[in-house]
Amino acid sequence: MKTNQKKAWLFLAPTIIFVTLFSIYPILRAFGMSLQKGSLIDLTWTGFSNYQYIFHDPEFWLAIKNTILYAVISVPVGLAISIMLAWIIFSKVKHKSFFETTFFMPYVTSTIAIGIVFRYIFNGDYGMLNFILRCLHLPAPDWIDDPAMSLITIIIFGIWSGLAFNIVILMGALRNIDPNFYTIADMYGASGKDKFWRITMPELVPTIAFLLTMNIIGAFKIYTSVYALFNGQAGVGNSGTTAVFYIYNKFQIVGTPGVAMAATVVLFLIILFATFLQRKMMKKIGEN
Amino acid sequence: MKKLRWGVLFSYLILFIFAIITVFPFIYMLLGGLMSFQETTSIPPTLIPHHFEWSNYAKVFAQAPFARYFFNTVLTASITTIVSLFNSLLGAFAMVNLHFKGKGIVQIVLLSLLMVPGEAIIFTNYNTIAHMGLLNTYIGLVLPFLTSIFYMYYLQSYFGSISETIYKAAMIDGASDWEYIWKILVPMSKGGLFTVGLLSFISGWNSFLWPLLVTNEDTMRLLNNGLSTFASDAGSETQLQLAAATLTVLPILILYFIFRKQIIQGVVRNDLKG
Repeated sequence: MKTNQKKAWLFLAPTIIFVTLFSIYPILRAFGMSLQKGSLIDLTWTGFSNYQYIFHDPEFWLAIKNTILYAVISVPVGLAISIMLAWIIFSKVKHKSFFETTFFMPYVTSTIAIGIVFRYIFNGDYGMLNFILRCLHLPAPDWIDDPAMSLITIIIFGIWSGLAFNIVILMGALRNIDPNFYTIADMYGASGKDKFWRITMPELVPTIAFLLTMNIIGAFKIYTSVYALFNGQAGVGNSGTTAVFYIYNKFQIVGTPGVAMAATVVLFLIILFATFLQRKMMKKIGEN
Repeated sequence: MKKLRWGVLFSYLILFIFAIITVFPFIYMLLGGLMSFQETTSIPPTLIPHHFEWSNYAKVFAQAPFARYFFNTVLTASITTIVSLFNSLLGAFAMVNLHFKGKGIVQIVLLSLLMVPGEAIIFTNYNTIAHMGLLNTYIGLVLPFLTSIFYMYYLQSYFGSISETIYKAAMIDGASDWEYIWKILVPMSKGGLFTVGLLSFISGWNSFLWPLLVTNEDTMRLLNNGLSTFASDAGSETQLQLAAATLTVLPILILYFIFRKQIIQGVVRNDLKG
């Protein structure tokens, strides 16, 4: 067989052309535009002033703060609930695929449509959630219209919609654990708790690491669910603004693409850094 | 024994509570779309409407061109799926079966591009599409998504599991690469291609940010953008918003219930590879 087959490039051509035009070029262009000012049709060189601008913009810091808070709260909580549910389905329940199918539903459905539904469930006056909270004599906050609640509402919705993916992946991983481990553990009279912490959890570490990365990256890109929950706004008085919201706003609404691209570059670097940090961490855990 | 029972009971309780939390919004959406306006905003909340207001759906179609949104969405999701599947198929074939200089570099570049968040490049892509004069066109809607590194990578794992000797035997029998792809590779990995197609179609159906950027004419909007505009236009007509949301979710949900095995397996398989 020939080792250098030029025709391979022919088969790869469509992919390489599209990837160059719509993945590689836009990355370089984003860096370039972040150093330019003006409108889309009239860009001029400006150096690092866009970066200076965003670092002095309180709205940018609010967006970053919200995004990081969202990631730091929703990811671990969502992951913990997912592990609990996947483990219960896997170890206790007969109709595994029934529950798996049920829990996966939010993954395939439109965030916008479900966000609209949540807007009614979260409604302060006639919403189902507050009705239940009042029945239980718990405080019933105004989830949508109170700026102080925006982020919490986004986090709850984020956890709800994130469970689907996590549970399905964890179920796949649980099925891959050698059943002999459990058989042997039973022979030695291990308790359910022992089996979970000594067999299941260590076996799940790579999957959890993977989910952590995916969830954190996903959290940094949060946009659509905020848009859906607050009817196109970033919460009351922009209280729930996120990094992508900020970028969209600066790009499309305010018309300062340079500023938007500077924010994009920062977001991009944060995501890369988070991925890198998390991989390092997981390697350390893996070594121990 | 008794302690164990309580544990099981408790587990079931947790499971059912979360199952209800997961399913409830869907049920509420379906039922709410059939309520009268008073019922959707009453205190205590109504769950089962007294009278099914099917006319809500007629009103939704009368107030916004949902038929058009459907058409646009089906068209763009199908084109993206078919073309990107085709391009990924060819690319994956080359990466698995052909030997050429620079293969390693191509692989590394593609894999590292997988790490780039779509949101970081979507705005510059908008710029490109605008320069090409393709705003508010179907081509503009689909162009950046006509190939998928993700699906190509996924198909590579499928094709890699087909023995190399089959390819060699086909070559000895005088088959061309093109014939090998269509007569052997595609039939042998039908399941994988189908699953990838389903996942691609679903994500096309649910896409939001890109069509929001590149379209602003009502006739070119996709379902989700149409829906979100409709939701703000319909204002307080909660029952219509829920009916419209049902229209958006139901087709995919039906598709999901028919092919749930393939869809779930596809997602799991994708990701266990990391």
